[in-house]
Amino acid sequence: MNVFQENVSILRSQDPALASQVLNTPGGILSIHPAKSGQPTAVVKNRSIHSSYDPIREAEQWAAHHAKDCQAGEVLVVLGVGLWYHLEALLAKVSQDSLIMVVVPNLQEFVDGLAVRSLKGWGERVKWVWGDPEPMARQVAQQGRRVRLLTYEPALSLHSDAYDAFRLQLRQQLAKRASGTLHVMVVGPIYGGSLPIGGYVVRALESLGHRVSWVDHSLHERGYQHLNTIRDDRLRMTVQQRFSDTLGVISLAHVAEDPPDVVLAMSQAPLSMAVLEQMRRKKVLTAMWFVENFRHLTYWQQMIDGYDFWFVMQQAACVEAFKHAGASHVSYLPLAADPNIHQSVDLTEQERAELEADVSFLGAGYRNRREILSALLGHEWTFKLWGNEWDNCGTLAKVLQRNGARIDTPTSVKIFNGTTVNINLHSYTKEGFDPDGDSVNPRTFELASCGAFQVVDHRTLLPDLFDGTMMKIVRTPEEFVPAINTYLHEPEQRRAMAEASKQHVLKFHTYVHRMHTLLSAMGLASPDRIGAILQGERQAESLLARSGESPELIPLLNTFSKQDRVELVDMARAIRLKGPEAQLKREELLILMMDEYRQEKRDFL
Amino acid sequence: MPRSLLLQLARLGDLIQSLPAISSLHSSFPDQLFDLLCSAPLTSIGKLFPGIQGVYPWEGERWHDLAIMDGVDQGRFVIAAEQYLADCAFPRYSVAYNLNNHPRSVLASHLLSDRVVGAGDQGPLHLSLPPWVAYLRQIANDRGTNRIHLADAFCGVCEVNPPAVVPTIEATHVDLPTDLAHMVNDGSWERVGIVLGAGDGDRRVPIAVWRQFIEACIDQLPNCLCVLIGGLGEREAALALEDQLPPSYLSRLFNCVGRTSLPQLAHVFNRCQWVVGSDTGPLHVGVACGARAIGWYFSRARVHETGPYGVGHYVWQYRPGTDPGKLGGQDLNGLPQPPGSWPVRETLQLIQGQHESANASEWELWKSYRDECGMFYMNGEQPDSAVPQRKIIWEQLSAPSGNRDLNVGRHSHMAGRWS
Repeated sequence: MNVFQENVSILRSQDPALASQVLNTPGGILSIHPAKSGQPTAVVKNRSIHSSYDPIREAEQWAAHHAKDCQAGEVLVVLGVGLWYHLEALLAKVSQDSLIMVVVPNLQEFVDGLAVRSLKGWGERVKWVWGDPEPMARQVAQQGRRVRLLTYEPALSLHSDAYDAFRLQLRQQLAKRASGTLHVMVVGPIYGGSLPIGGYVVRALESLGHRVSWVDHSLHERGYQHLNTIRDDRLRMTVQQRFSDTLGVISLAHVAEDPPDVVLAMSQAPLSMAVLEQMRRKKVLTAMWFVENFRHLTYWQQMIDGYDFWFVMQQAACVEAFKHAGASHVSYLPLAADPNIHQSVDLTEQERAELEADVSFLGAGYRNRREILSALLGHEWTFKLWGNEWDNCGTLAKVLQRNGARIDTPTSVKIFNGTTVNINLHSYTKEGFDPDGDSVNPRTFELASCGAFQVVDHRTLLPDLFDGTMMKIVRTPEEFVPAINTYLHEPEQRRAMAEASKQHVLKFHTYVHRMHTLLSAMGLASPDRIGAILQGERQAESLLARSGESPELIPLLNTFSKQDRVELVDMARAIRLKGPEAQLKREELLILMMDEYRQEKRDFL
Repeated sequence: MPRSLLLQLARLGDLIQSLPAISSLHSSFPDQLFDLLCSAPLTSIGKLFPGIQGVYPWEGERWHDLAIMDGVDQGRFVIAAEQYLADCAFPRYSVAYNLNNHPRSVLASHLLSDRVVGAGDQGPLHLSLPPWVAYLRQIANDRGTNRIHLADAFCGVCEVNPPAVVPTIEATHVDLPTDLAHMVNDGSWERVGIVLGAGDGDRRVPIAVWRQFIEACIDQLPNCLCVLIGGLGEREAALALEDQLPPSYLSRLFNCVGRTSLPQLAHVFNRCQWVVGSDTGPLHVGVACGARAIGWYFSRARVHETGPYGVGHYVWQYRPGTDPGKLGGQDLNGLPQPPGSWPVRETLQLIQGQHESANASEWELWKSYRDECGMFYMNGEQPDSAVPQRKIIWEQLSAPSGNRDLNVGRHSHMAGRWS
């Protein structure tokens, strides 16, 4: 029996379907050569998958690096197959109690390995996961244990798209099973577009059952804006920077008072690098949802090391740029709508008189909008223009409502509802459509969530979020007028498309969905902390089930409800509630002692 | 032999002020061994304390790291903490004498001993305080007319009387850098240790004042060598001071700032005749090492609570408000206003043996004495009415059976001394 046959025989005892599948799969992905050490090594398109000198030694180094974080009882999901040297080395270093699941996105690569390296003596301990991403992810999540992803980059890069799809599915599967609650501190900006999004995020997190602390810096907007009365530019900017720094320290004080599991900052949140560094020192995980165009606002470059996690609303180029700049975790997270806010509403007579129109646009007066929207004047329909920053807008001035005042969210919702055809034109500082326009603005989701019909300019990321059955998508500015003409006279089609877009938002694009995704991404990358909490490991029930090593804590844990999240602080509080006369056990004294040090605030600021 | 532990987890000054309590415990219980638990950076000075068998470091950083470990549930916290305590190899103590009314110190006492004397003696969660601890807290809050010295109150906390003999620290077997060794062994000088300041910024004396003082010492004391004392935080200030002095003075100035370990500092102080400075840890190290002290007490420092311990020390106590031009109020941080003038000339006169009873503008001169109730300071030749009050307080707080709520104690080792 040759190595391949021997391996197939081992596989058959574990996974007969996989064994029969490999018999019908040709190899040929990996080009096999002997390494200097004599062991087989693999190359793909001139790129080495394992060391060409000593693949075993290289694998041992990889395993040593990854094994130090692994804990007994975990599911270790390895991404990257190659010739398995890293798997063998890992098995030698982790607890027998760990379950190692290896994701096999491509059986041809696997067959190449089966032909040259033996599974004998170790392969029995590995669970090979293969097939489509969704069932593979379900298989991992069903284990019901803490999941830790380990990546072997040289082999992973052969099938990075497949692994990305698997990761996405795994995030969703784990999110479905999440039962634990986090304490999330959301830090908002002083003002700006990300401020209302911060509010939606807070509501979404609360609706998911998490405890949320909202650090609302908009309370300080008036004071901050008043600094604009300082005429000297340099002086004003210095004072504004100091003001912003002080707000950062205020955020830090909130963290010190009630330490969260995660600090989620919205774009423009006044958190300086010094403040973020201090949070890191105190082991508070930080994330930034950067809801800006990364090409226009570039302050992220200076902040990139400050946050543990970045979430961006642009893909590919943006994600690459952030990674290139040094971001350790960066994920695509598009905007969304809050159906409790962005919803269908009935307008009063008075509101109808003011807010209704055949065609409306709501937004700030960017250059491309001034040019393109001018073409909507002089038609048979009524056209209303809402929003601020429309000074010197020429002929558009006659349709500008409320003298260009800023429109609040409740009024926006009424305008969306009261408009037959809503124009949604993404901003651009030059003429026409932004040729690099990729991200989708919040208005797209908000209009859809309101059940309002919209004509929107094309964005490269739009097809992943909505399709042409839900809104009219135009590819050139010239298409706006004919589109309006068409849909003004097609009420049924308009209503059907708007309803479809609304249902689509409710199903896929609310802030609740986004927060689910955000937290599960963090959980997957941080299995010991966020992942463990989300999977319910900090709930009394789970702690009791795992109290074998310290049974003395069982009576105390029994004082909590099964679903209660129990942390050191909760245990300490329960101990203190025993009253002044209580004779404390040794473990109770130790918990109180550590709680004293956990509360340490002296070195926070 | 039964083994007891004294816990003092506070800063250097408090640790030095615990020396009389250790001495008194040692003489009260000659058949017991005493260990000391103190903040890890201070263990080296603790090892010089007479009457102490072993010194254990309390590593706050380590506890903090344990408390914020990643992904660890309570069970593992407990196991990790137990492991840490096992690594420290603490013996089991028959008694823990706890001097700090801080939860960490109270919890540490109960972790290491079944019987606690001092703060937390009724249990780790008990709210009532032993009389002496309650008294110290009251003084910290109200101050009032207290005349019982902190070091003596620590004796009270440990249920012993103030020591019959003021304890001192000897650090003779400490290696020094060559230049330092040469300086301390040169018998031709009268050395004046100048403590540039340590700890809180509000206790720092301005550099210009020190320059004035050093110039006066060198000009008027022919055999005087000024020794600058301080930690790494004062290094810049010491260099600035050297820069400001005329070069001809530098041969009579020795800069030790930031160069010595605590035992080396003690060794230097063992060879100083005087130590001058504000109420800081190094000043008290100097006193414990046998130097006579002249303290400049301002900001929150009060001579009656933390004046140099022993007989024959001086304290210039700043009294804001005695200058009609100043209101004696507080600065933006709620601290007392810093002095506008400093008793430079007057301090020099004391070293020269002149004008013991003089008062400087805004400063009162106090001199230390001892009696059976411990230390006290007098401003002038006669004790004021607060001095004899100490005896009554000792009797009240140390009564063998009493009501805690009335601050009446029950300490048996003190009974009968004044009765």
